[in-house]
Amino acid sequence: MSTLDHPQVESSLEGFLKQVRPRLKGVFTRYRIPPQDTEDILQQALMALVYRREGVRDPEAWLLGTVRNKCLLYWREQRRRLYESVDAAVLEAVAEPVGPDQERSHLRHDLAQVLERLPERCRSLLWMRYRQGYDPPELAERLGYSPSSIGKVTTRCLAALTRQLFASGICRRKPE
Amino acid sequence: MKGGRHPEPGALERFVLGELSPLEMRDTARHLLAGCPRCQEITAALWEPADVFEDPEALAIAEVSAEDAAYDAVLDRVFEQVAAVESQLAEQRAAGRRLQEELMQCPAERRHLLLANCQRFRNRMLCERLIEASYEACFEDPRRAVEAAGLAVEVVDRLEAEDCGGAEALAGLRARAWAHLGNAFRTSFDLPNSEAAFATAESLLSEGQIPLAEKAKVLSLLASWRKVQRRFAEASQIFDRVAALYKRLGQWDLLGRTLLQKALVCGEAGDGEGEMRLLRRALDLIDPQSDPRTFLAARHNLINALYESGRVREAFALLYHTRPLYLQAGDRMNLLRLRWLEGLVAFGLQRTDQAEAAFREVREAFLELDLGYEAALASLDLAGVYAAQGRGADVSRVAEETLRIFQSYNTHREAIAALLVFCAAARLDQAGLDLVREVSAFLKRARNNPDLRFSAPS
Repeated sequence: MSTLDHPQVESSLEGFLKQVRPRLKGVFTRYRIPPQDTEDILQQALMALVYRREGVRDPEAWLLGTVRNKCLLYWREQRRRLYESVDAAVLEAVAEPVGPDQERSHLRHDLAQVLERLPERCRSLLWMRYRQGYDPPELAERLGYSPSSIGKVTTRCLAALTRQLFASGICRRKPE
Repeated sequence: MKGGRHPEPGALERFVLGELSPLEMRDTARHLLAGCPRCQEITAALWEPADVFEDPEALAIAEVSAEDAAYDAVLDRVFEQVAAVESQLAEQRAAGRRLQEELMQCPAERRHLLLANCQRFRNRMLCERLIEASYEACFEDPRRAVEAAGLAVEVVDRLEAEDCGGAEALAGLRARAWAHLGNAFRTSFDLPNSEAAFATAESLLSEGQIPLAEKAKVLSLLASWRKVQRRFAEASQIFDRVAALYKRLGQWDLLGRTLLQKALVCGEAGDGEGEMRLLRRALDLIDPQSDPRTFLAARHNLINALYESGRVREAFALLYHTRPLYLQAGDRMNLLRLRWLEGLVAFGLQRTDQAEAAFREVREAFLELDLGYEAALASLDLAGVYAAQGRGADVSRVAEETLRIFQSYNTHREAIAALLVFCAAARLDQAGLDLVREVSAFLKRARNNPDLRFSAPS
């Protein structure tokens, strides 16, 4: 039996946008996308919809699904950038050539405490990275990972470290 | 205090968004590393793990208060831009239609020249129209389908990102054009070219960013191709990827369709239970109001799967409840499929008179419609009824008639070979129900796979 698509697109774009507007705001609010970053997400999704509207059977579901997906990607990208920044900040702090001994000692103590709360695998990896200065290929070799997967493993460990930095409330709050 | 002073107001938010300078990032990270509870509380409120959002139910109930106007200005601006683009696109669509008509009026050899040399044929909507034409022609005229998809590939190769609203959209369109070319070759049984076209589509998918919806469409065609190749495990895996994409996009109806397609893979691979499980899930997702044809297709396949697995009474019950949907669809093909299914279920319930009447009716109708393959399959079901009743002469007569149908349509060499074996056995009064079923199953499998070889039962 045939399963052809039957486009049922709202004929008036204006009517469709009016109808979908509160739901779009709901998605952006829910995902807490800063308004200045909303424009790109919405524009990309809506442009994609108008370009392929003949192939979309339920435009509202399609648009909301696409926007939601882009919001998730937005936060994933933000996270990735944050992990990189945290990594760079910690590397820079532990490598600081000058500074009072007491401050360095505090930093090492704080870092050790945070690493202590991470899973064993991440603890070893980040310890070797921050305290012994191993770079990714060396880490892969020492810890038995393939060179192609060490990047992903490191990102996961940096994610765990970042979560620890926000440890006091990271999992407590959920969207109302 | 340990870790230094608290960051400035607003700095923590910019820290979470990665917007601070490297020095500020370092200081803030250092401060948080020291475990400042106040700042951790603030960052935790700013920072939500993406996982907690991945709950469509929670999203569905999200309400926005009327006074939440922070996004209004953005929405107004984007809506205005989109309306302008939409208006341009409407013109382009009309132009695409006109160009397609103009192109198809030319002799075939001139079409390629026009596409290569004439700038106005560099049109995205023309490409879309050709893809659509190819898909529709697959059911009626596979050669026309190949021609249209080939032209679509030529058009897309001359498009630029700005013709399509961005590089991603162009990449998606290109992959889809190639996948449709593969699909068209498949329907015309040109299997090497089909494989080559699908390989191109697949490599395009892995080369760059493709919109998820486009990726899902390309993968869906690829999975169907793998099914035809009888690479069932791969087909299943690809359908799983398609399902995951539609889930992410919140396209529940298309997820339902994908499960329906995956169920066909299970059925062909001999996993009847898996097929029925998937069909039930598909039926939960497909909306009978908005997509009655697909809903009916899923029900039809479920009834057939129940019959095939010997659960004839359940098939009968479901058929009873589904009959109104067939009547509602009303077109001749659906009514014939209903009648055919009624014959099968009646045969399963050993109501041989009813089954015989249904199969005869269906066979004659298919012959009238010039659908030789379907007519031959219905004939074999009729032969099965006769074989079960021990009516050897009738089996032999139907076998000869079926062979003649096949020969007159000059179809599938291996299918004719299978029917010759069947005729020979029938002449010797040795064509039992098992042989009828074997030949019928072979013809169903071989329909999309001319390379399949029939081995005569020992």
